Amino acid sequence: MSARVNHRTATKSASDAAPAAVSEGRRPPYLGFGLGLRPKHYQDILEGNPQVDWFEVISENYMVRGGQPLAILDRIVERYPVVMHGVSLSIASTAPFNEDYLDGLNALAKRVRPKWISDHLCWTGVHGVNLHDLLPFPYTRDALDHVVSRVHYVQERIGRPLCLENVSTYVQFGQTEMPEWEFISELSKRTGCWLLFDVNNVYVSAFNHGYDALAFLNGIPADRVIQFHLAGHSDMTNYIVDTHDHPVRDEVWTLYEAALRRFGPVSTMIERDDHIPPLADVLVELDHARSLAGKVLGPKNSSPAVEPPAAA
Amino acid sequence: MPLNLKSFQDQFQRAILEGDDAILNDIPDGPRETKTNLLGIYRDAYVLRLIGVIGNDHELLRLYLGEDRFRAMARAYIASCPSQHPNARWFAHRLPQFLKSSEPYARRPDVGELATLERALNDAFDGADAPILSMADLAAFPPESWAQLFFVCHPTAACIDGYTNVGAIWIALKAGEEAPPCTLSEEATRILVWRHDKTSKFRELSAEEAMMWLETAKGARFGDLCELLATYDDPASAPVRAAGYLKGWLDAGLLSEVVPAA
Repeated sequence: MSARVNHRTATKSASDAAPAAVSEGRRPPYLGFGLGLRPKHYQDILEGNPQVDWFEVISENYMVRGGQPLAILDRIVERYPVVMHGVSLSIASTAPFNEDYLDGLNALAKRVRPKWISDHLCWTGVHGVNLHDLLPFPYTRDALDHVVSRVHYVQERIGRPLCLENVSTYVQFGQTEMPEWEFISELSKRTGCWLLFDVNNVYVSAFNHGYDALAFLNGIPADRVIQFHLAGHSDMTNYIVDTHDHPVRDEVWTLYEAALRRFGPVSTMIERDDHIPPLADVLVELDHARSLAGKVLGPKNSSPAVEPPAAA
Repeated sequence: MPLNLKSFQDQFQRAILEGDDAILNDIPDGPRETKTNLLGIYRDAYVLRLIGVIGNDHELLRLYLGEDRFRAMARAYIASCPSQHPNARWFAHRLPQFLKSSEPYARRPDVGELATLERALNDAFDGADAPILSMADLAAFPPESWAQLFFVCHPTAACIDGYTNVGAIWIALKAGEEAPPCTLSEEATRILVWRHDKTSKFRELSAEEAMMWLETAKGARFGDLCELLATYDDPASAPVRAAGYLKGWLDAGLLSEVVPAA
């Protein structure tokens, strides 16, 4: 962590009045070991019977009017549990929400009946512009109050707790008042949102900012984490870029084992966003995740039939 | 004085879009890398990601222009038309208009028309679903009632105009062959784009078929369509020609519904 970052504890604010109906939702089920659904794998998935317990779909890819994408999605939904993962919610933006986007998200959720809906703890643009990136912001108490109120709003709109993912970051800000994990913890406590722990993103940000990834891992509430992402990255020597276009690296597998020890059985998936390899290659990685979970948790505790403990 | 979140986001976005360095005042150097280079990751990623989006939507335009000219064109579009949609699927939607109205691309109608054709094919690919009208559906109506029938076009069907041999250019590029030289015509060529069996398709229409298609899309009755064709060419064979076009449209999945006159 940079010396300029001030680790003051965030305080609760008047905007804490989380609507009980959406903030106290039951923990979603443990799904086992899944994959991000990618068009390159459509045929192999539908014609074969790959050992995949569930799929995560990029919400925006299916927020279209019809055609092959939605037809394929319908067939996937018939066979597998599905979760929705968005990239454009822009939960930390100071711009007003795009209500059409939220309507589209709800329409897709009605079609998919996802086990949960996730997006990223970031912003994507202001003034009507979308930069199509997962942008960082300073972790201040004011920002926390702002994001808390936005999460409440979205949870009311989608009628369920949101699940938020930590993003990879490359810069920090002098005005930051708390570490990322403290911000995330407070956000989750105050809104009831679930957490998607991207193991690779934690590794990337920890390297780039010089903090201990285990401090992040140990700093967020274990009972709120319902999903893991595993992915690869590009090592540029002085910094790491989260490209999600390589196999999962050894150091990320090691952090995944630590995450399993702390969080227990959590729905795990391989997230490959570019240079998509054949399905068989990704299945090898998924099998590795499965075997690591079996080793750390025992085979019985890593089976999808087992509900994880309510709290750590 | 720390920036509030709104001012911070204004400044960060200007850093990405306009190269404004003011945000660097609030960014410490990383443990191993300068803050300028670290901010540069966001700046570079912004452009590279959107070049990728444009390339994904316009893979043949990329081939046609060649990589260097494609990237220069994409950078110009990204600078001129920042994304205004939460879904990157629609980022390149303004590209055809940009190419037709911005120098030096406006001097190359083949470039703008190829972008228009690719965009129309993309739009057809994930356009709205609708039933496909079949010949059997039509057979339910006695021949004497046909003059009073209206047809509803499939919602993915769109007719675009071109003044170049863009169709031939597209076909050659798609086949991995060298594109033919661009040729220009004074009369507009009408290209019909639609989706059938989950696949986007296109074909050029003759002037007569284009006329009939456009009137069908406006809601003309089949009898009116036959009369229209009679004014265009041999009146005696107009009903046969109209029926021929209609059969072609049914076979191609271009119609969704038949509606008898009230």
